[in-house]
Amino acid sequence: MKALATTCLLLLLLGHPALAEESLHYPAEAGSQARDALVVHGALDLPYMRPLLEAFHARHPEIALTYRNLDTLTLHQRFLAAPDEADLLISSAMPWQYHLANAGQAQALESDAAAAWPRWARWRQELFAFTFEPVVMVVRRELIERFGRPDSHAALLELLERHGDALRGRVVTYDPRRSGAGYSYAIEEARRSPRYWDLVAALGEAESVLATTTGEMLNGLDEGRYWLGYNLLGSYASATVAANPALTLVIPSDYTLVTRRLALIPRQAPHPRQARRFLNFLIGEPGQRVIAAATPLGALHPSLRGPGTAEALRDAHGEALRPIPLGPSLLATLDDLKRQALLARWRREFSRGIDTAPSP
Amino acid sequence: MIRRDSLYRRLLTWLLLPLLALGGLMILQAWVEARRTADRAHDRLLEAAILAIAEQVQWLDDRLWLDLPPAALEMLATDAEERVFYALYDAEDNFITGNARLPGDPRDPPPEGDGLLYRDIQRGELPLRQGVGRVRLEDWRRGERFEVRVAHSREGRERLAGELLRSSLAYILGMAALAVTILLLAIRAALAPLTRLRRAIQARDPRTLAPLELPLPRELAELRETLNELLARMRRVRANQERFIGDASHQLRTPLAGLTARAELALRQEDPARWREALEAIRASGNRISRLAVQLLSLTRLNNPEYHPERVRLDLVPLAREAVRHHWTGCHREGIDLGVETPETAVMISGIDWQLEEALGNLIDNARRYGARRITLRVHASPPTLEVEDDGPGIPAAQRRLMLRPFHRGGDGGGDGSGLGLAIVDGIARSHQARLFLEDGVAGRGLRIGLRFPGDTP
Repeated sequence: MKALATTCLLLLLLGHPALAEESLHYPAEAGSQARDALVVHGALDLPYMRPLLEAFHARHPEIALTYRNLDTLTLHQRFLAAPDEADLLISSAMPWQYHLANAGQAQALESDAAAAWPRWARWRQELFAFTFEPVVMVVRRELIERFGRPDSHAALLELLERHGDALRGRVVTYDPRRSGAGYSYAIEEARRSPRYWDLVAALGEAESVLATTTGEMLNGLDEGRYWLGYNLLGSYASATVAANPALTLVIPSDYTLVTRRLALIPRQAPHPRQARRFLNFLIGEPGQRVIAAATPLGALHPSLRGPGTAEALRDAHGEALRPIPLGPSLLATLDDLKRQALLARWRREFSRGIDTAPSP
Repeated sequence: MIRRDSLYRRLLTWLLLPLLALGGLMILQAWVEARRTADRAHDRLLEAAILAIAEQVQWLDDRLWLDLPPAALEMLATDAEERVFYALYDAEDNFITGNARLPGDPRDPPPEGDGLLYRDIQRGELPLRQGVGRVRLEDWRRGERFEVRVAHSREGRERLAGELLRSSLAYILGMAALAVTILLLAIRAALAPLTRLRRAIQARDPRTLAPLELPLPRELAELRETLNELLARMRRVRANQERFIGDASHQLRTPLAGLTARAELALRQEDPARWREALEAIRASGNRISRLAVQLLSLTRLNNPEYHPERVRLDLVPLAREAVRHHWTGCHREGIDLGVETPETAVMISGIDWQLEEALGNLIDNARRYGARRITLRVHASPPTLEVEDDGPGIPAAQRRLMLRPFHRGGDGGGDGSGLGLAIVDGIARSHQARLFLEDGVAGRGLRIGLRFPGDTP
């Protein structure tokens, strides 16, 4: 299989590291038609995507498969600039994906797999959630040894309020002003919990460090710079946590946001037939099995059980899991005024403690 | 298309077609009504969303500010997962926020009501239902006006309209089935008396002319009465025929009896001169009998409705002159003055010459027999008329119609007439669609009798 599929990883460094474009390309098997091509744009890191792509390529070696890993913002903007470039968009930026589908930019997938897909994990036949990723806390041993393990948001708030000074600069979280994921978590949490603003204020008082990606936070936690990371993407954190015995992954017991990656086929996809085939694979049992076995993304397929599936996570933390709903409320997240209002409030709350506390 | 005309099919067609048209109209109306109901129901969602959004609009930092409630957008999406659009515009129609630029509504909201307007719009290829709410800020410092526009796609409406239509469709189809069944039964029941009438006629003895006696609805009772009238006429005709046959045999029997008696009387004689005398008398009787037989034959022929001899174009003038020429000698011998008056021009009719000749012969004969001294034939051009006038005793007006009956002899004068002459003339007149008239003579005495042909005969 692998002998047939020549895998090449192109790491293009275009001057600035931020503009780096990672991509994977699997050429078609010799003899197949050239037009059997498929271009996938995804905001999903290569280590997680590669098993899926390889499994698909093994099933359909006649399709020349290209995967470009982009961050959510680039992915969205690139699509708006060239809506006929990609055959499939995969992104964790649920509001943006929803916005595109709502505006009629996605084409419907009429298939058995799509019809069997649970309603709460799709919107019409156009937008499909295919992962189940909780938003978690990662805690270092040092903190647990000193103050115990914060198992919930309430416990974290109490910890911050009581030992804020000791934790000064040791807590890291998303900056909602610079990170789309951070912003969507903030808006969801603000909707869910009235005490969220107290938590923001406490985080501000503890002079928490603000990061833009889960990777950045994980690096700091791994190296020991931070003792607690708040609102990390569980799927990305699990590998690091597993590799580092000093780290513990905490799924808060009062509520845990669950984000889901959404896939859609653009209306102007150049290879819609192959795109449908790939999406059917992604939400079909074979693809979902790969997700469960080879990635920490969490398989959603209702017939799958066991480690690596949403069902397993539900069995363990059923009460607390709060998947971000796949509905028009996502549009509110994108509203400019709403964003300004929320960020203004967030800034105000975050700096409340700093302003009132005597400067060091 | 219709192979055989049938009352049943005709009724069915004319009742079913309007029924079907009506059914179609009802379905159309149900569809319009279903859409309207679905729109009304879902417009409430637009209204709720507009109000929820409008409530969150504030005046902040010298501008309109909206803290968009996500629930307002959730309201717009039902189970049908509609696409949802919203926008906030200020009084000058400037876009403040939203996920799509939505057009305003050019109409003015109705004066009573909540100031909300709904209409169907098209966004690209997407048909949408839009609601627009014009609202004023609830702020005592400024009454800034703004417009909330929301829209969603029509899936939920169409689904609801489809459900409503399906339920009314089931109702309408049920009604239609019921109506058609009742119609079929009703037509069958209404046409049942017709079958009864047919059976009653079929079951009759073909020889009987007794009236039909069976209870029937009014329309068919009329038919039954007409039928009975026809039967009564046929009974009268048959009675006439029977009397005619009786009269005819009587008429033939009397001269034949005379003939026999005369022959027997002669046989008892020995004198050849007497024999000769008897033979002369027998010959005269034989002539009369054969004349009677000829007349009976022609009368029967004329009375036969199936008998239609071919008519030709002929001129009445030579016909009248020929009749005068033919009878002149006989009249002259008896001292009767026979004359003819004709117009200069030909008088054309379509007719049968031998019949008309016979009619004239009969009329002249009659006049002679009833003691006329002067007989005049006349032909009139317009309307074409053939008449014979005599100066005899005439016939009283009251008896004239009776004269037309066979074997009826006028008054007491008629010596040896058969009583068939005028009946034959009447039959000839009928076969020419001409009218037989009997009138007083010119001077108020005598009789004028003739045939008036239809004027427009070609």
